[in-house]
Amino acid sequence: MSEITVAEPDTESRPKRSLGVRIVRGIAWASLIAGFLILGFVVQQLFVTSWFAERNQEALEGEAREHFTSVEVTAVPITDVPGLSDPDASADPSAPVPLLLVETPPEEHEAFAIIRAPVIEALHEGWTVVSGVSRSDLRNGAGHMPHTPLPGQPGNAVISGHRTTYGAPFHDLDKLSAGDRLEVETAIGVHVYEVRESLVVQPTDIWVTAPREGAWLTLTTCNPKFSSRERLVVFAELVEGPNAGVILSV
Amino acid sequence: MKRWFEALPGPTPVKVVLAVVAVVVGLVALFFVYDWIGTSLLDTGGTVG
Repeated sequence: MSEITVAEPDTESRPKRSLGVRIVRGIAWASLIAGFLILGFVVQQLFVTSWFAERNQEALEGEAREHFTSVEVTAVPITDVPGLSDPDASADPSAPVPLLLVETPPEEHEAFAIIRAPVIEALHEGWTVVSGVSRSDLRNGAGHMPHTPLPGQPGNAVISGHRTTYGAPFHDLDKLSAGDRLEVETAIGVHVYEVRESLVVQPTDIWVTAPREGAWLTLTTCNPKFSSRERLVVFAELVEGPNAGVILSV
Repeated sequence: MKRWFEALPGPTPVKVVLAVVAVVVGLVALFFVYDWIGTSLLDTGGTVG
């Protein structure tokens, strides 16, 4: 009976790689891994986030429609609204005081409005607006700054949205020019705004959210595309809608 | 990769489960890192202030 012997691996005979080869090999592997990580980042930012946002939009639109039917809308004399006064009161005190339609403010993170813009492709069909501008709010929809008035109300309603990720609802905000129209649907009805001005500001320029006379809609997004270095701001004024006649008359 | 798989404890079926769990956890962690970088540098959502 023959004896089987297992040969030890001949490690000595394997050629040793030189330091140069090992460095080049290391750099090649590191480049390959870095390339995959960068590719993954691009795919995640441009496609995965948008897929999530569009999927969330379907659910949020339903939530907003439900909000439209369930929220309480009341007619308030304009004399009860801070900053507004009845222009006919001094001429004819017996004339009825104009009424402003007011809705109950939405809960934090709740979908409560839909914004549309014929000029912007992403906003043709409408994009749901949620209450709040936290990271998670803006992942789902455009976000309304809670301390500003609701769209369709006197003052300056501010809405922010992503430019390049999460569905990029404000990707083409730079295509809006003076005279273009925007619509915001709320529980009260459809409020039509006309663009007056666009400008680029610093992210810290909080003055763009300051109260304004009349009824305004201010849209803000990142600028330039694929950078959060600046903000592109569009100011639009209310021209039509359930409250436009009353607000424009005072 | 093979060495990493073989270093996992337990028999092969356990190693497979552990490897799948590790890959999923890694991908989820990577997703959050990507998201944090994206919303911090690339597109914050356009808020002001």
